[in-house]
Amino acid sequence: MARLKFLCDSDRCIECNACVTACKNEHEVPWGINRRRVVTLNDGKPGERSISMACMHCTDAPCAAVCPTSCFYGTADALVLHDKDLCIGCGYCFYACPFGAPQYPRVGNFGGRGKMDKCTYCAGGPQQDNTAVEYMQYGSNRIAEGKLPLCAEMCSTKALLAGDGEIIAAIYRERVQQRGFGSGAWGWRTAYKQELTV
Amino acid sequence: MRDNPDGKAQARRRFLGTLGFAAVAAPAAAFEADGGTGGLPPRKETEAERRAPRYRETDHVRAFYRTNRY
Amino acid sequence: MLTRRSAGQAGRQRLAAAYQGLASGGTDRREFLRQAGLGGVGLAALGTLGTQVARAQVAHTVPDRAVPARRIKNVCTHCSVGCSVIAEVQNGVWTGQEPAWESPINRGTHCAKGASVREIVHGDRRLKYPMKLAGGQWQRLSWDQALDEISEKLLQIREKSSPEAVFWLGSAKFTNEAAYLFRKFGAFWGTNNIDHQARICHSTTVAGVANTFGYGAQTNSYNDIRNSKTMIVMGGNPAESHPIATQHLLAGRELNRSNFFVVDPRFTRTAAHATDYVRIRPGTDIPVIWGMLWHIFENGWEDKEFIRQRVYGMDEVRREVTKWNPEEVLRVTGVPEAQIKRMAQVFATQKPATLIWCMGATQKTVGTANVRAFSILCMATGNVGSAGTGCNIFRGHTNVQGATDLGLDIATLPAYYGLDEAAWRHWCRVWQVDYEWMQGRFASKKLMETPGIPSTRWFDAVVLPRDQVDQPSNFKAMFVMGHGGNTVTRMPEMVKALEKLDLLVVCDPHPTTYAQVSDRQDGTYLLPICTNFETVGSRTASNRSLQWGEKIVEPIFESRNDYDVMYALAKRLGFADELFKNIGVKDGVVVVEDILREINRGTWALGYTGQSPERLRLHMANQQHFDITTLRGAKGTPVEGEVYGLPWPCWGTPEMKHPGTHILYDNSLHVKEGGGTFRARFGVERNGETLLAEGSYSKGSEIQDGYPEFTVAVLKRLGWFDDLSAHEKEIIGRVGGENIDRVSWSTDLSGGIIRVAMDHGCLPYGNAKARALAWNLPDPVPMHREPLYTPRTDLIPSLDQAAVLAADPNAPAPAGTYPALRDRRGFRMPHLGLTVQMRSHTVAREFPIILTSGRLVEYEGGGEETRSNKWLAELQQDMFVEINPADAAERGIRNAQYVWVLGPENDARVKVKAMITERVGKGVAFMPFHFGGWFQGEDRRRFYPPGTDPVVLGESVNTVTTYGYDPVTFMQETKVTLCQIRSA
Repeated sequence: MARLKFLCDSDRCIECNACVTACKNEHEVPWGINRRRVVTLNDGKPGERSISMACMHCTDAPCAAVCPTSCFYGTADALVLHDKDLCIGCGYCFYACPFGAPQYPRVGNFGGRGKMDKCTYCAGGPQQDNTAVEYMQYGSNRIAEGKLPLCAEMCSTKALLAGDGEIIAAIYRERVQQRGFGSGAWGWRTAYKQELTV
Repeated sequence: MRDNPDGKAQARRRFLGTLGFAAVAAPAAAFEADGGTGGLPPRKETEAERRAPRYRETDHVRAFYRTNRY
Repeated sequence: MLTRRSAGQAGRQRLAAAYQGLASGGTDRREFLRQAGLGGVGLAALGTLGTQVARAQVAHTVPDRAVPARRIKNVCTHCSVGCSVIAEVQNGVWTGQEPAWESPINRGTHCAKGASVREIVHGDRRLKYPMKLAGGQWQRLSWDQALDEISEKLLQIREKSSPEAVFWLGSAKFTNEAAYLFRKFGAFWGTNNIDHQARICHSTTVAGVANTFGYGAQTNSYNDIRNSKTMIVMGGNPAESHPIATQHLLAGRELNRSNFFVVDPRFTRTAAHATDYVRIRPGTDIPVIWGMLWHIFENGWEDKEFIRQRVYGMDEVRREVTKWNPEEVLRVTGVPEAQIKRMAQVFATQKPATLIWCMGATQKTVGTANVRAFSILCMATGNVGSAGTGCNIFRGHTNVQGATDLGLDIATLPAYYGLDEAAWRHWCRVWQVDYEWMQGRFASKKLMETPGIPSTRWFDAVVLPRDQVDQPSNFKAMFVMGHGGNTVTRMPEMVKALEKLDLLVVCDPHPTTYAQVSDRQDGTYLLPICTNFETVGSRTASNRSLQWGEKIVEPIFESRNDYDVMYALAKRLGFADELFKNIGVKDGVVVVEDILREINRGTWALGYTGQSPERLRLHMANQQHFDITTLRGAKGTPVEGEVYGLPWPCWGTPEMKHPGTHILYDNSLHVKEGGGTFRARFGVERNGETLLAEGSYSKGSEIQDGYPEFTVAVLKRLGWFDDLSAHEKEIIGRVGGENIDRVSWSTDLSGGIIRVAMDHGCLPYGNAKARALAWNLPDPVPMHREPLYTPRTDLIPSLDQAAVLAADPNAPAPAGTYPALRDRRGFRMPHLGLTVQMRSHTVAREFPIILTSGRLVEYEGGGEETRSNKWLAELQQDMFVEINPADAAERGIRNAQYVWVLGPENDARVKVKAMITERVGKGVAFMPFHFGGWFQGEDRRRFYPPGTDPVVLGESVNTVTTYGYDPVTFMQETKVTLCQIRSA
């Protein structure tokens, strides 16, 4: 069975933010909630690199480990989804997440943040697939439609890969062999307890 | 190319098309950041449904892999 | 509703920890944003969303599972790459965007703008109905009333002040059909005062490259760059301006392990992915190129055979190049010899090599000379006319190429026919109107044949003294369709001119800067135009491919499309019957395909004749059959052998089935396969030396040497005249009248001459040499000239020396100096050069920092559309200036604080946030040009019609940009001026 993953090829990422607006477009994510964003390191200097970041859908996800209401669940595709009806907005997951993925709709402390929102890998949530109520709470469910996250599908330079972890790792390895360099699969050790060796 | 892997694609957006008349469909009503359901009744999945695999290597997905190669 | 700031920082620290060893100090542009703007402008703007937007009742009904989604294909309306957009539409609502895997151009991908285009037809901030400004208040009115009032005023002005008193400003966002129709509209109104964004985009490229090779366009394509072994990007930042083109650049870089140079004053996002980055002082492009050629000639790296066969005047270039030894290049540009030499050697010897440029080369007082120098470098090294080589000129707007080609320009009729009597007679034949009637529309035959006033100077033509403007009247009215008001330099002066106009009409999906930047009280009309997603038509991508877009949804609110508005206005102005003689109109709705068919019947000289609506639609339906590198249709498919989008020239009639031309001037192919030679455009001989190619010809040519362009006389001499059919001869007879010998391939309305030439394997336009020496230009061989505002006063003449230069037109430049051109006139206006440059002596001390401007990926052009798109606006909430840390430290400026940027003209100043970064070198500052809505410190949000203000506003860089125009096209100088920066 496929293990779905994200892989950002930072040698390709040009920080164009297509992934960010594709996500906004697909799910009508409101202002201030950023399920995905692009982080640039060494901005404006030699060595500048950008990485598109969202929930990585970690193996043994730390968010799930700290959640006091156990709102997270893992799917057979290895996606980490959550049930907003259980979320109390405590923010523990935010502090546990190594990628800064959880987002909250409100400013405030001690449960005043509102329900946590994050990248669903375009796989909706615990409502029936592609129902209006699922869209309302979690956004669209492309995986159920036989598609992949729109951020990766629309990535301008084909830097952001999504899909079967084995296949995207193979694509990345081919690239590195072809071009002769590669900075590695960012975040894979943290998220998937695994290095991508070429 | 029409990639409509299994017919479900159409279902996904059906409700969006009814949200209002064209131009002014207020996007805020289409997604509740705070986890609300916009007054819609819940359609919760069972524990088994939640975890069921959904990923399939459709033509659409293969096109993604193909265009990511050179 | 934004994330808490403290938590956000905690998250970032964690993120950084996850990538240990990579994270470094300093801030990136987004981080800067989060610290600087979050909760500020963004929240304030968001707060207005709910109250100001007139929201219709949202019918929140139970999903209708019976409604199928329709998939409709159009083309992204933002840049010139031409990405296919697939829209899913239900119940007339655009509900989703899907990747277009099959497009050979974008293969499913988009940039931030393309991935958010669906928001455009949500249209929260769109102009919703016609409005007028009366007594300083915006009033709603009906379309009929608005058009009646506007046309009445236009006719009054025409009567009183001549047709030349109206300035018609069109758009690079028009479809081809709308661009052509608007140009035609200007002609029928009776003026050449009609222009569009190409003036401020690549006008200098078009002029410079056409004067070199014959046609002024990208020679190869985005896709073809996948073949390049060496790429130089000079004066361009495709990672932000053309992200999908960058996909092909990076793929090419990886496939060929190619050399990738970026030459730029800024370490751009493109430079971050280059193999070599070369930082230059802004405005020293020619010395860099000549410095490279110095090494190339010195070491014999040039392509001698190519030069001998296909280039005229290279020896004169050699003479100029000898001045640019490594020491002088270092003194002027700041680039060390080793960098220049390596780049020269690689470009000349690791072939195929391509030179890519954008506004950094063109928006200069020496823009035309710059692009000529770039073209000469390609010619000298044999890097033009084959796969992987060429001048890959990345154009800006979605259809700036097409709008230029179709003559939306002050100096030519469609397809670069010019404005002389022969050109007018040709187009009158195509339009089936009487030439004398057309002449009667103009104030005089002389004005009919004189180029108009360019968009960079329209405001001077409003306010200059009467005797300074060579036409019967100053401008009294301006009619704008799809053009931002903040994209032209010297805004404080523009604002004064706006206030002086009797009539201002803005037709646009958004109010634009024009609506709010001045203190006009009356006589401004805003007409809501829909976007190209709400109508049909073709657009020409930068690589000359035409793509047809289908209507995704009906025009939203009360907006209408360009065509129908032009028809409704022409009707009221009294020339609709003539204008639409061959174009169907049903109940006020224009048949767009008919416009393209008329274009097909007239644009022989450019090869826009083979691209019928049917052929374009066939290509859009068969995108998956085109090769991603060669753009050729695969065997056994309906598009076999054709090039995607039938890139012009696509010779002859659609029935001749010419495949389009992927690579210009490629003589390894037969003309019928899209092969080419350099165009014989400038005669056959000069000073006893031939201008025709020698021993070089396209594959299968029966004439195995150079030859002139084809006319009936040439056909007769070759004995090919009787290859023409009786029908073709009859049409030629009608065109030529008494003297058919002079009918040429470009005026023959039958296409017969072109057909016969191609049957013999010949290019209808002839086979000549490209011109390294363009004797008709102010600098026949490109010469370095210092920017008008330069901090290097040691490189310009002293005031005394300048007085000598001004007095004696033949006086040479003092040794070691690079003066601007002397003051002159052009385009009906005064054009200052040396006089303004002399100001540098006095202002350079007070304004010591070089100011340059450019693009951000999230926004486009003047930015009204993209800053109104909340998905994009969220990403870039503040106007800013990039300052080098050393310059900031000297001034005590902290990151993200407000600063004043002061300009050396008009006491101009803008209040922006400081972004301290090493991206710019010491002594250089950069500002993006997409912002508007603030003016010299004042937030003018309240002057927008309610509910139409963009989410993000900010100061326009063009408030502080200065005088300076290219002598050939009046391109504005936006890339080099001076400024001072102070804490606010």
